[in-house]
Amino acid sequence: MNRETPNERWRPTATTWLAGSLVVGGAALAVLSTGWFLLLSALGTFGPGVLRETGWLRDKDELQLRAAHRAGYHAYLVCGIAAFVSLAYFQSGVPDVGDSQNLALLFAVLLWCTWFLSALLSYWGPRKTAARILTAFGTFWIALMIINSIQLEWSGAAALLVQSLPAVPLFLLAWTSPRWPRTTGILLLVLSAFTLMLLAEPSEKNTGLVEQVIRVLLFFGPLLACGVSLLSVRGGDDYDDDGLAGDQR
Amino acid sequence: MKARHDIRNAVRRHRLIRDMTQNELAELLGVTRQTVLSIEKGKYTPSIALALRLAEVFDVSVETLFQLKKENDNE
Repeated sequence: MNRETPNERWRPTATTWLAGSLVVGGAALAVLSTGWFLLLSALGTFGPGVLRETGWLRDKDELQLRAAHRAGYHAYLVCGIAAFVSLAYFQSGVPDVGDSQNLALLFAVLLWCTWFLSALLSYWGPRKTAARILTAFGTFWIALMIINSIQLEWSGAAALLVQSLPAVPLFLLAWTSPRWPRTTGILLLVLSAFTLMLLAEPSEKNTGLVEQVIRVLLFFGPLLACGVSLLSVRGGDDYDDDGLAGDQR
Repeated sequence: MKARHDIRNAVRRHRLIRDMTQNELAELLGVTRQTVLSIEKGKYTPSIALALRLAEVFDVSVETLFQLKKENDNE
């Protein structure tokens, strides 16, 4: 038996470290060498779940397991619907997207995104999930700008600051989501609609359609999910989702 | 029908009476602090085993900690 002890602040367990290393390492090796290394990523992604279901790994408590099971059901529903939509699309004689590799990637992304978002929303609740996802998006944007600046010609700190400005509304919404969840939810829906317009490019011949859908899923999906879930937060809760202000009493 | 609207609990009250933090209670129960928080807020109805462990920690009956809400109860 392998059980975590509760921590005051979340820290990655050995399982998380190992699984994360397999996912990242597998993806990196797949790019550098052969695609078969993606199986390592699959092992890191699904291995812990398989071990938990077979009883070999007992590192999650009942709420975490319930959130994971519920998320798995949601991922089954979403991917099932997507599979039938895809089948109907291909059976209906429309021009072939000719992109079977990215189609497989699309289903993997859809499965993982649905599962991940559902698990977070079930376990943390809407406010905390939205705050953390928005913070992660903002941090990712800034990191991307820094990496771009390093790889391309350095254009100065001022230029980097300007390029990082799109992260500001994300951090702002992360701050407002625990305090004014419904207002933030509406703003997130507006932001996700804007993101959708930005990412979705019309294409006459359906070229790159699957890639577009993946991009939309990865950026639009979390914002939409957070926005919709924040709208469902009831007013009049006595205290925050988890004591974001540090309350443990 | 969502379970969280059907059951009311007194976990937070009993925890505060005993001057316990959520972390301390979580450690005694073998769960995470988030689970304790979710139970207290009524967002999660624990399993029978966890409910019994809670009752044991507080030295009260399960019925003292968890009650069914009546239809005309205000939330």
